[in-house]
Amino acid sequence: MNTPVLRVERLGKSFNGVRALDGVSIDVGPHEVVGVLGENGAGKSTLLKVLAGLCRPDAGEITVRGRTVRFGGPRDAAAAGISMVFQEQSLIPNLNVAENIMLGHEDAALRGGFYDWRKLHALSAVQLGKLDARIAPSALTETLSFAERQMVELAKALAIEERTPHEPLILLDEPTSMLDDEQARVVLPAIERLRSRASMILVSHRLDEVLRVCDRVYVLAGGRCVGQRHRGACTKTELQTMMLLQHPDVRGSPALPARSDASAVVLQVRELSRADRYRGVSFEVRAGEVLGIAGAAGSGRESLCRALFGAEVPDSGEMVLDGRRVRWSEPADAVRHGIGYVPAERSTEGLVAGMSVAENMTLAHLGELQRGPFIALGPEKALARRWMARLAIQPCTGETQAQWLSGGNQQKLVLAKWLIGRKLKVLILDHPWRGLDVAAKAEAVDMIREFARAGIAMVLITDSIDDLIASSDSLIVMKNGMVSGVFKGGPAKPPELRILECML
Amino acid sequence: MHALKLPDAGWRRSPWTAWIPLLVLLALLGAVGTIQPSFISPENLGLLAGESSVILLLATAQTLVIMLGGIDVSVAALTALASVLMALALPSSGWGGLLGVLGLTTLLGAFQGFVHVRARIPSVVVTLAGLGMWSGLALVIAGTTVPVVEGYGTVAWLEGRSFGVHHSFAFAMAALALVAIAQHRMPFGRRIRAIGLNPAAARLSGIRIQRVKVVAFGMTGLFAGLAAMTMVARTASGSPTIADSLLLPSIAAVLIGGTAITGGTGGVWRTLVGVLTVTVLRVGIAATGLSAAYEPIAYGVLVVVAAALVVDRTARSSVK
Repeated sequence: MNTPVLRVERLGKSFNGVRALDGVSIDVGPHEVVGVLGENGAGKSTLLKVLAGLCRPDAGEITVRGRTVRFGGPRDAAAAGISMVFQEQSLIPNLNVAENIMLGHEDAALRGGFYDWRKLHALSAVQLGKLDARIAPSALTETLSFAERQMVELAKALAIEERTPHEPLILLDEPTSMLDDEQARVVLPAIERLRSRASMILVSHRLDEVLRVCDRVYVLAGGRCVGQRHRGACTKTELQTMMLLQHPDVRGSPALPARSDASAVVLQVRELSRADRYRGVSFEVRAGEVLGIAGAAGSGRESLCRALFGAEVPDSGEMVLDGRRVRWSEPADAVRHGIGYVPAERSTEGLVAGMSVAENMTLAHLGELQRGPFIALGPEKALARRWMARLAIQPCTGETQAQWLSGGNQQKLVLAKWLIGRKLKVLILDHPWRGLDVAAKAEAVDMIREFARAGIAMVLITDSIDDLIASSDSLIVMKNGMVSGVFKGGPAKPPELRILECML
Repeated sequence: MHALKLPDAGWRRSPWTAWIPLLVLLALLGAVGTIQPSFISPENLGLLAGESSVILLLATAQTLVIMLGGIDVSVAALTALASVLMALALPSSGWGGLLGVLGLTTLLGAFQGFVHVRARIPSVVVTLAGLGMWSGLALVIAGTTVPVVEGYGTVAWLEGRSFGVHHSFAFAMAALALVAIAQHRMPFGRRIRAIGLNPAAARLSGIRIQRVKVVAFGMTGLFAGLAAMTMVARTASGSPTIADSLLLPSIAAVLIGGTAITGGTGGVWRTLVGVLTVTVLRVGIAATGLSAAYEPIAYGVLVVVAAALVVDRTARSSVK
């Protein structure tokens, strides 16, 4: 191989003590299309952001065409010939295509400070031409289809060619994630065509597409690079297995004793359906049981969990709690009946930034702390202190604002918010250890087991199958909104590969 | 020392910025007092307090709505409508009429809140519509000021003084104190703060956001009625056009006191400081011989400065 266009060595980046990138090394050759695969939280987006100059790495080195670079911002990256196509489109809807393509670099099309429209259109038409895209430069961006807008994004990224002496490196962050197969068939050939004039890094969830377009694939998991494969030298299943199994996991911990089927069924779900999300889902959870729900992206399991809590309303089906039919029209109904929910988006949905640790902890159970019409402030303080000590929440003062806690402590706080409830029966855990470092995660895992043992029924979703197997007593697998496999609790844990089979 | 890293000094700053409005108020009193020494006599300060009671009532209720992240621009218009209705009802119905009108304004306020949450229309839009409707309705019912002679006795108690304190001011302060208790000691206030700071997390904590909002808007309606009652007692009349001079100061007072327009940060005690500031400006500008036209200009400047100081940018940015 010739000298690589880009070489990244031992790149490291942490957010709040959580390692998003942990010694990642990759390189990209001229005219090469390199794929980066990984589950949520594997570090793909962080890698792209570092390369685009949007955030600074803590460690490691980036070399572009043999020269070590340090980006202070996206402008530096652009000067080195790197440009990025964002997952959420960055086009401005009420400008026309040409304006968007040339945005920020209109100098060539200005005459005395005013747009020379003809020149602007001509310049952007050149970029669109490179992609063989039949889109009029004068078209208003918001009138285009999503796929067409994606082409405009590509053209915009390509425009960097005119400003650097080198061939550009284009970073594509899930360029087809919002497109259906039909639309993706339009965008992918454009990527193929670009190969003759650029190098590319493609981040995508769609394995088929990565295998078709990319020459080489890196697999990231837990911030590390866990493998590199050439096209043709790997299968889809192999890559999938790598992505899912390589998390720093809890496999070392002892398996839970299987719950006896004698304990009472707490929550029963019958034929629950919601259009475009899930269909005819039925299962039951017993007191003290951890039920894991496995599923790939699009399985509908997140949406299902939100329905159990009343955050989304299902179209049909029923839920039975402690033998009685229940319906939630909003989360407050579920909370009143002893259901708790730990959302995946901890900082935006789990906690109220600007409120103290103690206030966050008691927010869902103010009624239980009421004395007459008032909140009993003394008991509230004592309760908060007791739970902070019990869950080892640091720093141990109830007055600290919740947003200043580390990720692990924030997660413990969100757990505490539900655990303090006197009649908590079911706790729904939506990716409870996403973004936690290994130690914080181990702590959270132990905590969940401890409280399951105390008789709380848990429903668990995690990114990694290993984690799910290690922490669950029984498992259901969802695929395209339907239950595709059921693994009852027992002394023998179900093998990962059998679960994977049901997922894919 | 714990290992926790505190990202910049934003949260440390907020305690002292919370005192700025009070300092501004004292500085303002000092300045006006220097120019016009009689201004800060106990006698005059008592008058000043009495002068502030209507705005105090309006701003107190407004604080709750602004804490929720909303705004109610209709309160002053509702006050105008209520003052007209009270002036018309007092001669024949006395207390019954008074309570009836208070009930009505509460319902109208709650109704605006209901439309806001059900139709998912921003509160500023719904209450702007209310502003038009209530002030228009007031004009339809009474083309001009309605004097109250017969039946004035029902509200006369608001106009007296005990121990040098104006009754209407004491009344407004009592109402404010009750709201302060609700805000700091009752779940209602805690929930309002949570909704203002992070509606998504509040909802997922089992807070019934719609219900809390409707109650808060109902309270602004009730307080508009109370303000109208005070107004009627002060002027012995109901006026359909009174809203014009109350709208800006009553909202400005909340912001000048240090409640953030973004919701979640603030409280009614801060609003008390804001109301006094607005009142000193109002009366002080007249006392120093400046044109009354400077009054809204001063509100404008103070509002922007206060809003810039109060917004806690660190708490709003993503926590990552």
